[in-house]
Amino acid sequence: MPEAASMSCMDLGAVVPEMVLAGLALALVPIAGWARGPWRRFPAWVALLGLLIAMGVTAPMLIAAPREAFCGTYAVDPFRGFYQLVIEAGAIITLFALAAHFRGTEQEAQAPIALLMASVGGMGLAAATDLGLIVLFLQMVSFPSYLLVLLVRSDKPAQEATFKYFLYGAAALAVMAYGLTFLFGLTGSLNLRIIGTSLAGADRAWIALAFGLVLVGYGFEMTLVPFHVWAPDAFQGATAPASGFVSVVPKVAAFAGLLRLLLEALPHNLVPWPAMLAIIAAVTMSFGNLMALRQTSLKRLLAYSSIAQAGYMLMAVAAAERTPSAMPAVGYYLVAYLCMNLAAFAVLAQVERMFGRDDYVAIRGLGRCAPWSAAALALALLSLAGIPPLAGFAGKVFLLMAAIAGGFAWLAVVAALNMALALYYYAAIVAEMYFHEPERTKAVAARAGYAWAIGLCTAGTIAFGAIPTLALSVAQLGSSMLR
Amino acid sequence: MLTTTIFLPLLTGLVVLTLPHNRPDLVRGTALVGAVLTLIAAIILWVGFDPSGGNLQWRMTAPWIPAIGASYDIAIGGISLALILLTAVLLTVVMVYVFGERDRAHAHAFLFLLLGTGLIGLFAAQDLLLFYLFFEVGLVPMYFIVGIWGGERRRYAALKFFLYTRAGSLAMLLGFLALYLAMEPHTFSLPAIITAKPLAHAPLASALVFFALLIGFGVKLPIVPLHNWLPDAHVEAPTEGSVVLAGLQLKMGGYGLVAILLPAMPETVARFGWLLVIIALLSLLYGALAALAQSDMKRLVAYTSINHMAYVALGVAVAAMTGSVAARQLALNGAAVQMVSHGVLTGGMFLMVGMLQHRAGTREIDRFGGLIGSMPAFSGLFGLLAFGSLGLPGLSGFIAEFQVIGAALQLSLWVAAVTVLGLILATGVYLLLMARTLMGTPPPGADALTALSSREAWSAGTLAALSVLIGILPAVLIAAVDSATRILAQF
Repeated sequence: MPEAASMSCMDLGAVVPEMVLAGLALALVPIAGWARGPWRRFPAWVALLGLLIAMGVTAPMLIAAPREAFCGTYAVDPFRGFYQLVIEAGAIITLFALAAHFRGTEQEAQAPIALLMASVGGMGLAAATDLGLIVLFLQMVSFPSYLLVLLVRSDKPAQEATFKYFLYGAAALAVMAYGLTFLFGLTGSLNLRIIGTSLAGADRAWIALAFGLVLVGYGFEMTLVPFHVWAPDAFQGATAPASGFVSVVPKVAAFAGLLRLLLEALPHNLVPWPAMLAIIAAVTMSFGNLMALRQTSLKRLLAYSSIAQAGYMLMAVAAAERTPSAMPAVGYYLVAYLCMNLAAFAVLAQVERMFGRDDYVAIRGLGRCAPWSAAALALALLSLAGIPPLAGFAGKVFLLMAAIAGGFAWLAVVAALNMALALYYYAAIVAEMYFHEPERTKAVAARAGYAWAIGLCTAGTIAFGAIPTLALSVAQLGSSMLR
Repeated sequence: MLTTTIFLPLLTGLVVLTLPHNRPDLVRGTALVGAVLTLIAAIILWVGFDPSGGNLQWRMTAPWIPAIGASYDIAIGGISLALILLTAVLLTVVMVYVFGERDRAHAHAFLFLLLGTGLIGLFAAQDLLLFYLFFEVGLVPMYFIVGIWGGERRRYAALKFFLYTRAGSLAMLLGFLALYLAMEPHTFSLPAIITAKPLAHAPLASALVFFALLIGFGVKLPIVPLHNWLPDAHVEAPTEGSVVLAGLQLKMGGYGLVAILLPAMPETVARFGWLLVIIALLSLLYGALAALAQSDMKRLVAYTSINHMAYVALGVAVAAMTGSVAARQLALNGAAVQMVSHGVLTGGMFLMVGMLQHRAGTREIDRFGGLIGSMPAFSGLFGLLAFGSLGLPGLSGFIAEFQVIGAALQLSLWVAAVTVLGLILATGVYLLLMARTLMGTPPPGADALTALSSREAWSAGTLAALSVLIGILPAVLIAAVDSATRILAQF
C-alpha cells in the first residue's frame, strides 16, 4: 500500500500521548533541579496530570480502526491502545507510591521524570512496527528504569543493583539488536509486516537464530529464565516503589512488543515458537517458584514470584496463534498482575519505611499493628496465588484455558502444579502477618500516596476478580491489531 | 431467595467488620442474628421446595463471564437443600457455642460467615467455574481459622490443610477446564454437561479428567491416601473450626462426587468403579483402625470421619457399577443421608470434645473417667452422639450406612462383608471411648468438672436432637434426598 503509507507519514495525531508525556518530562528536567521545599511535589502533580491526559487520549484507540502512521513504522490500533493504557495506569499507581515514599527528599522531584520517560518507552514499544524503533524504545524503557533503581545514589545495595541491571540490560539489548539485523538481512526490510510476508522463502535456521537472539532482549525485560538473573538483585536493591515499577511496566511493554513481533513478523509457524515459548514458560514458572520458596527478603521473594508470573503469562503467548482466547487472557492477566503486584510493593514500601527492612520479621504480626495494610498485602498475595474471587484467579483460569485450547495441556498441568507450590510461600507471608504477634508495634507510615496506590490496586484486584468482564472485555478489544 | 440465602452470611460478615472494636458482645450478637436469618432463609427454601420438581429448583441465572460461557447459575435439588439446611444449622450452632468467647471477635465472626457463603454457594452452584469459586472461598477462611485460633501446632496444620486442598482443587480446575473445552459450544453449565456427557467416548481424556476430579474431591472427602492433612487440621483447629471442617467442609468433596463426578461421567466412574470401591474400603478400614489407636479424643473423632465419609465414596462407586436403578438410588440415598448424618453427629462429637478440653485442659482419654456421675447432662448427649456415630438403629447414622451396605450387597457379597467389618470396628471405637470416659471412676488427680452451660447444652443438644429426628422420622430427609437421587440414578 504505497499510497496509504505515504499519506500516513508524519501523522502527529498518532503520537499525542507519547508527545504529552515526553514533552512534560523534558520540561520538568530543569524544574526538578531547581525545586526546593514544597515545590518538590510539583513534578509529581504535573506527571499525574499528564498521565491522566494521556489515558484520555489513548482510550479511544481501543475502538479505532487499525491504521499505520509514520510510513508504516507506528501502529494505531486497539492492541496499542490497551497496552498503553495498562502502562499509563501502572505509571500512575507507581507515581503515588513514589511520591509518598520520597516525600520531602530531593528524589521526590526527580522520580516522576524517570517514570515518565520509561513509560513513554514502554508505550512506544507497544506501538512500534519497525525494527529500528523497537530497539530505540526498548532502550528508552530500560534506561530510566536503571535510574529509578538508583534513585538514592548513596545507597550501596542500590548501586550494586543498578550496576547488575545495567550491565545485563546493555548486553541483552545488544544481542537482541544483533538478532533484529538478521531479520533485516533476510528480508531487506525493517517493517514487521513486510518481514512477515517476505520471510517465507528464507532459510529456517537463520530465522530460528534471529528469533532466539531477539528473545534474549524481550526475555530480559520479561524476566524469562535464563534471562532473569538481574531481577532479584535489582528488586532487592531498589526502593520498593521502584521495584514495583520495574516489575510491571517493562514487563507489560515487552509482552506487547513480543506479541506484535510474533504475530506480525513471524506468522505461519516459520519458527516453532509456540513450542519454544511453551518450554521457556514451563522452565520460567518452575524456576521462579522454586527459588521463591527459599527467600527471606520479601522484595527478592516477589522478584522470583514475578518471574513465575511471567512464566504463567508466557503460556498464553505460546498459544497466541492457535486460539483466539489467548490474547485476551494475556491482556487480562497483565491488568490483574499490575493490580496485585503494585499493591504488594506499595505495602512493602510502607513496611520498609517503618522498619528499614523487608524480611519476615518486619511483617510479623502486621495484621495487629497495621490491619489495613496487612489486609491489602494478604489480598494481593492470595490473588497472586490465584485464590478466587480475586483477579489473579480469573486470570489464571483464562491462561490455563488458553493453554489447553492451544494444545498445551501438559503445560497447563505444569502450571497447576506450580500454582499449588507457589501457595506455600504466599501463605507463609500471610501466616507471618496474622498467625504471629508483632515483635514491636509501630504505626505504619500513613501517607495519602500509599493509600491511593494500595486502594486503587486493591479495588482493582477485587472488582476485576468478582466481575472479570470489566477487564476482560477491554482486553478483548485490545486483542485486535494491525496485521 | 437462593441468592439471598447464599449472600446473607457474607453481608452480615461485612456488617460485623464495621462494628465498633470495643463491643465484642455486639459483634457476637450480630453474627448470631446473621446465622439465624440464614437458617430462616434456608427453611423458606425448604418450604418452597417441591419433592417432585427436579434438581433445578429456585433456579436463577445471570451472566458472569459471558466471554467464556461462565454464568452465575444457581439452583437446588434435594441433596443441595439438605446440605444447605445442614450448613445453616451448624453455622447457627457454632455461633451459639462461641458466643462471648475468642479474641479478635470481628475477624472470627467474619471468617465463619464467609465460610457459610462459600458452602451454601457451592451446594447451589450449577456452573462449574462458580462451583470452583465457592470451593476456594470456603478454603481460605478455614486456613485463617486454624492458623489464628488453633492449638500448639496450628501454623503447620493450617499450611498443610491449605496446600493439600489447593493442590486438589487445582487438579479439579484442570478437570473442569477439560470438560468445558469438550463441550460444543464451550460451557461450564453443569446441567448441560450432565445432559451431554461430553467425554463419554474419549477413553483417555475421560480417564484423566476422572482422576483429576477424584483428586480434587478426594482430598476433601478425604480418601486414603489423600487424607494426611485431616488429622492435623481437625486436631489443631479450634472446636468450632473442627465442627465446620468435619461437619461441612468434608461434604464439599462428597457433594462433588455425588452431584458432579457421577452424573457428568457415569461410564468412566463405572470403568474405574473397582478402584473406587477399593479406595473406599481402604479408607473405611483405615479410618476405624487408626481411630482405635488414638489416645487423644479429638484425633480419634477426626479419624472416624475418614471411616464415615468412605461410605459416600462407596455409595458413588456402587451406584456407578450396578445396573439396577433401584440399587443405584439406594446407594446414592445412603451416600447423601450419610453426609447429613455425619455433619450432625461428628459436628456434635467435636463440640463435646471441645467442652471437655475447655474444662480439663486435656483431651487424653486416660485423663477422664466416670463422667456419667460428675456430668450427667454431658454424658447423655455424648452417649447419644456416640451411639449415633456407631450406627445404632433409631439414630441417623444407621439409616445411611444400612442403605449403602444394602446397595453394596447387590454388587458383591465381599464388598458388603468388608463394609460390615469396618462398621464393627467403628462401633468398637465408640464403645471403647464411652467405656473409658463415661464409665469407671475418674483417674486420680483429675479435677472436678463443672456442668454444662446453657450455651453448650443448646448447641450440642440441637445436633443430638436432629440425629434422633432423622433416625425416627427418616422420611423427612429421605423425601428430599430421594427426589434428587431419582434423577441422578437415571443414566
